Amino acid sequence: MPTGILLVDEILEGGLPVGAITEMVGAECSGRTALALSFLAQITQASRVCAWVDVSNCLHPESAAATGVDLCRLLWVRCGAAAATKAPQFSTNGFALQEKYFVPRPVTKGLHGGGFGPHPRSEVKGLSEAVSSFLRPQVTAPRCSEPQRSVINESVVVTRNPTQQSTDKTTSIFSAKPWSRLDQALRVTDLLLQAGGFSAIVLDMGSIAPEYTSRVPLATWFRYRAAAERSQTSLVLLTQHACAKSSAELALRFEPGKAFGEEKSVFTGVEYCVDVMRERSRPAFTNVIPLRKPPQRASDATWHSRTSWAGRR
Amino acid sequence: MTTPVELYACLYAKEFPCQAMLRLRPDVRSEPCVVMAGEPPFEYACSFNAKARVLGITRGMTRVEIDTFSSVTVVFRSQIEEEAAKAAILECAGAFSPRVENACNDNSFCCVIDIAGTEKLFGPPAALAKSLLERVRDLGIAASIAVSSNFQTAICLVRGLSSRPGVTIIALGEERAALTSLSLTVLDLSEEHAETFSLWGIHTLGMLAELPEKALIARMGQEGKRLLQLARGEMRHLFQPVEPSFALEERMELDTPVELLDSLLFVIGVMLDQLIVRATVRILALASVSVSLFLEGGESHTRTVRPALPTNDRQLWIKLIHLDLEAHPPQAPILSLALTAEPGAISKVQLGLFSPQLPEPMRLDVTLARIRAIVGEDCVGRAVLNDTHKPDEFRMEAFSVATGSISELARRPHCAAMRALRPAERITVKLRQKRPDALFFREKLYTVQQAYGPWVMSGDWWNQTLWSLHQWDLVAHSQDGSSLCCCLTYQTASDCWQIVALYD
Repeated sequence: MPTGILLVDEILEGGLPVGAITEMVGAECSGRTALALSFLAQITQASRVCAWVDVSNCLHPESAAATGVDLCRLLWVRCGAAAATKAPQFSTNGFALQEKYFVPRPVTKGLHGGGFGPHPRSEVKGLSEAVSSFLRPQVTAPRCSEPQRSVINESVVVTRNPTQQSTDKTTSIFSAKPWSRLDQALRVTDLLLQAGGFSAIVLDMGSIAPEYTSRVPLATWFRYRAAAERSQTSLVLLTQHACAKSSAELALRFEPGKAFGEEKSVFTGVEYCVDVMRERSRPAFTNVIPLRKPPQRASDATWHSRTSWAGRR
Repeated sequence: MTTPVELYACLYAKEFPCQAMLRLRPDVRSEPCVVMAGEPPFEYACSFNAKARVLGITRGMTRVEIDTFSSVTVVFRSQIEEEAAKAAILECAGAFSPRVENACNDNSFCCVIDIAGTEKLFGPPAALAKSLLERVRDLGIAASIAVSSNFQTAICLVRGLSSRPGVTIIALGEERAALTSLSLTVLDLSEEHAETFSLWGIHTLGMLAELPEKALIARMGQEGKRLLQLARGEMRHLFQPVEPSFALEERMELDTPVELLDSLLFVIGVMLDQLIVRATVRILALASVSVSLFLEGGESHTRTVRPALPTNDRQLWIKLIHLDLEAHPPQAPILSLALTAEPGAISKVQLGLFSPQLPEPMRLDVTLARIRAIVGEDCVGRAVLNDTHKPDEFRMEAFSVATGSISELARRPHCAAMRALRPAERITVKLRQKRPDALFFREKLYTVQQAYGPWVMSGDWWNQTLWSLHQWDLVAHSQDGSSLCCCLTYQTASDCWQIVALYD
């Protein structure tokens, strides 16, 4: 299925695979969303229906419409949005008890409500905490986009209003945790794949930190792969870190974009670069060394993504 | 001038209070069942089914007498359910003729249908009666039908022959002969007249019909004349039709307050069956179903389920109602419930060999309901952009598979996309000459390379929801080499800087 961006379609020999998982890996501001929306635009223009499972409630409908996505044919599932919309109701009262005064919520660990694998054998106590603490301090280059406690630097001018700062803290109590949102998104994707009829499903985990996405059991991706193949759905994962492993038919790595500097007053767009990380359909490597070097395929492409208000050059 | 030919079909259901209660309780039908009426402790048996009659139960037995029988199910009479059952049968009868007269009494259901002139539509009277009987049987009611050209003869006949279910057809002119063997009890005699006839040795209608008219009128007055005409099958009747309205509504009073949703769904399933049967005979489907639950404490809880297409699929309806009630459970035990449905045209789907693969509408409804249960009511659907310049303004609408033509959109596959941050993240910004010079975002200090703006935007100044902001497009780099292309806003009202979206 073509993505609508010629240079990318050329290196992919036609586009993204149908009935398989495609993984788009990259940091934020690397062009994953632009490519995914362009792909959905192609599908909706062919009178097909697609879905966007939004783990972080990040989809920008105006961008989608500007790219050419028919919003009537796009099912948008916003995970965690219900908790975010409820939060201001509490903060408007002006007084809120701290969380420690409430009955503590039952701690659910992992996707299965206890343990981190489908089998008791794979349950290792404390391993996940160890992995999380190992990954946390800026080990991985792409940063987590989750709202985090900000450390105010004394050297910069602080323009934050102190009264609003206090409300900020109350809202953070009621915001949905990444795990619960990820869990919701995985269940929703499962349902959509089982229902069938969607030509493409985008599971947008692009703003979730790798320490969360890498904890999703591989069996989940394997199940999705089988379901996608059965229902002939293109499942596109937007992640910061490759997590589907061998279940992904195609993995694309996105480099951080470079902004154009052609205009002094108007932001005109970004230049993105994508590289094919792995592709199952390519012929396997053999030990037989041919006499002549076979023609090599280009595995990376660069394209310009222009803002909707920038004129044509 | 010739008088028009009259033809009436009388539909009669005996022991109607019991039949109306058993209609929505199919599991009790195979057991002896007694319906009690009256205020405690003076309850008495007012109606029962055949199995209870075999056990020896008679009308008027007290609660203590009924308790001496083992394995008898006792239910209390419900006027609501009887009315619902009557409405369903009348509406079923109304499908055969617009002229239906209600002739019910306290313990039985009886209605007379004017079927003159319906031969071309429904065939001979026997075929019509058979068809009507089958439809009534589908509603869970056992009835019998008598067809006669005389209104009162049809009623008398069907009452007299009610022990023999089925269809009885009396040809024109044979009314008197058909009534001969019937007992006088079919005439609803007063006690005085019944005693008088008993003293005279008159026990059947045939005997009554043989009496001399003048002598009878001399002894009993005009009432005697009326009874004689009834017995001879010559009584004229002014037809008073009712207009049975087509309302898909079922009501049921629960024996005990129900708290569990699963047990409630069993009841809803039976009621849905009835609604589907009634809609199907009119070649209609259920477009929406409203479940009204009447709770302890006098409150009521109403939920309406409306799938994308009208359907008569019982499993689908049960699943949708189940998911909806699970998401919005009632806050108190349920005492009674009512199901109201709106009819809709049966949906027709034209499949095509080359049409694209689309989700099946019915299955999609269930999937969406399941997803709503997971993520919340307003978080699933399609986004519709609002007609405003305010950034990130949209509303969510219910998703349905669009079948129309594709809306013509400006296709710009190379268009830059944004990822919105909801809620917008407040940041600290260092300004130089009133332009952003550095910003602190997610524990990192970014130095601004390019700042485009400010684009001053405002709106709704005529309203309380007025908004005003300065928008900047920033290209920034941090010390560790990571770059950031973002859309920054400065809220003039609240004097704060926010990152609202990232270019991705």
